[in-house]
Amino acid sequence: MNSALEKHLNILDYALSALWRHRLKNGGIVVVFAAVIFLVASFQLVTTALTETAGKVLAVTPEITIQRMSAGRQEAIPLAYAEKLHDIFGIRAVVPRVWGYYFDEVRGANYTVLGVSADMPQADELSRAVVGGVMGSGGQGKVVVGRAVSQALQLQPGQLFSLFRPNLSLKAMTVAGIFRPETDLLTADLIAMPLVEARDLFLIPASKATDLCVYISNPAEIGTIAEKISKLLPDTRVLTRPQIQKTYQVVFGWRSGFASVCLLAALAAFAILAWDKASGLSPEERREIAILKILGWETADVLAMRFWEGGLVAGLAFLLGCTLAYLHVVFFGASLFRPVLVGWSVLHPALSLAPHVTLKEVLLLLAFTVVPYLAVTVVPAWRAASVPAESALSG
Amino acid sequence: MFLNAWSLALTLTSIAGIVLGGIACRTAIRVLRHWNPASDSELQIRLEGEIWLSSTLVAYGLGFQIVSLILFVLAADEFCKVIVGAMCATGSLLANSYGMPALLVKLVGVFFYGFWIVLHQLDIRSESYPLVRTKYLYLLLLYPLMAADVTLQTLYIAGLKPDIITSCCAVVFAAATGGGTNLLTLGSENLQLLLYYLTMVLLLGLGGLLLWRWNRWLQALYAVGWFWFFGLALVVITNVISSYIYAMPYHHCPFCLLKPEYHYIGFAIYGTLIGGAFLGSSAGLVEPCKRRAGLAEVVASYQKRAVQISLILLLLFAALTSYHYLLYMASGGEV
Repeated sequence: MNSALEKHLNILDYALSALWRHRLKNGGIVVVFAAVIFLVASFQLVTTALTETAGKVLAVTPEITIQRMSAGRQEAIPLAYAEKLHDIFGIRAVVPRVWGYYFDEVRGANYTVLGVSADMPQADELSRAVVGGVMGSGGQGKVVVGRAVSQALQLQPGQLFSLFRPNLSLKAMTVAGIFRPETDLLTADLIAMPLVEARDLFLIPASKATDLCVYISNPAEIGTIAEKISKLLPDTRVLTRPQIQKTYQVVFGWRSGFASVCLLAALAAFAILAWDKASGLSPEERREIAILKILGWETADVLAMRFWEGGLVAGLAFLLGCTLAYLHVVFFGASLFRPVLVGWSVLHPALSLAPHVTLKEVLLLLAFTVVPYLAVTVVPAWRAASVPAESALSG
Repeated sequence: MFLNAWSLALTLTSIAGIVLGGIACRTAIRVLRHWNPASDSELQIRLEGEIWLSSTLVAYGLGFQIVSLILFVLAADEFCKVIVGAMCATGSLLANSYGMPALLVKLVGVFFYGFWIVLHQLDIRSESYPLVRTKYLYLLLLYPLMAADVTLQTLYIAGLKPDIITSCCAVVFAAATGGGTNLLTLGSENLQLLLYYLTMVLLLGLGGLLLWRWNRWLQALYAVGWFWFFGLALVVITNVISSYIYAMPYHHCPFCLLKPEYHYIGFAIYGTLIGGAFLGSSAGLVEPCKRRAGLAEVVASYQKRAVQISLILLLLFAALTSYHYLLYMASGGEV
């Protein structure tokens, strides 16, 4: 056992020195391979981080959202619908919500306007996400804005600004506070205000809201209650939180899968390069292997040496690629790919992504990059290993 | 659900495996047709060189298979986040009828590739390569297994329907009933544990006896014992041991053990179990090779080493699986 280990250590030693002797060729492979791994790993890490962020953010959303549908489009929902849900057990609260998009023609950006009711069970969660004061209605309604909005409109807490109603009259508002950066994914482009103010801005009648949020005490009952609601209110769409969560997961997974398919082309190109580099034996290398054979090396030993060489190159490139990808995602906010995964909106949330890297991701990346590399280099490695000893004499 | 990094990685690994397997099979056919140890023709010399290629390819195939097996379970765990009613890997593997068979074929594959490598290692220890024909016939038979593996896995991934919100009505409740699905439900817990530890003691006794005095029948019994123990251990881990590790009485899942929350203990548990079962049973399976020219000694020394290591792995496995149970009992737990 010990002698076998020693033999492999010696082969490894030789492989290292051989790699160093051909450092230009191997260095090139490492750089290209690391670049491919960097691309794949960046996407994977961004996806993981985004999914985690979405999960964290969604944890405080209402368990069920009810939207009224008419001719396949969403419409304002009458508040009377909430009354009908009184008889369903397990519902903690039904809270109306008004939200919509406000297009700012000057800056060409869309803001999300959200009107929330003060009796929303998680009102304190919302206020915890805010730096500054609290929302309130009155002559000049107090609103809370996201960071991107505050930058676009150059707003500071306490400042006054106004938006147009649909009939082009102006509605004045005061900035009560700004959302914290942690919730940027959801709040970057958000203007949150009391329900009354939002109704006033969009000119929605007092008897209606955009949708109804249903809060449920026991998460195990979400499915059953949602089913009851959809029976009771047949013209509505009932969205549950787990479903929204799954949709996010699928969308991010799909996008990263799609990106991976695009990267497959890069991977294939690299595989061809690796194959070519591995199979094009220079006369010098042939001589080297033939001399090793004369010195008593067997085909298996040369194969083992080639395996170690491949393993070292792949390992080095993997470490390099993954480290760069991590730096790219964590310190540069994945600036290369964020548009693909987050969206193309003008107001980008400035995300601080901190992916949680587990063994799982590492294995996934290994399978995605190192396995194809090893697969394409094995046949050339054997070809190199089967160089006959006598070719040293003829060369 | 192919457009997902996990599905792609699985498919990529399988394609790599099946291409390498195809090249190895081409060699196998040539060897079976033209192999002639008495000849010193150019073809024979080339074939002797190609033997190295095929063995390296199968070794890589085994490596890829192990990666693919782990990846498959981890992918199932990842898929559960998007499938209705699935709470962990068990749920996603049961999401369609190809999940469990695919897993089983992958697991069996690890054993079969491993056996091939053992045969090969024994074969090259002898000057005359006495096992060449057996080995390559076996290799050709492995190919359908590889193909089955890829087919089942592809069908499984293709059949996965993620639960996403559609634009018309978002409610998909039909499948959301039922809580955690348990994989197996069998006899009483105590009976299973009794059988489990009894088999373990029996295997240890048999192994010790074998090392002390070699006997062909004991050897066969030891191999069969390991097969039985492998199946039994998987059932007992799922039904009994897993819930002690999770510290949740109603969570019986063989896959969550592989998660970081449980310090990846599953990798150690399954690693020792699969390793032990493989070595223990292969020691018996190579017995017929003893009769081939020049192999008697090589096989005997392999058997001895294999039994020794399998016993060590068994002890490790016993310690790993009993730790949480004993800890629970020692801290005053009730059954």
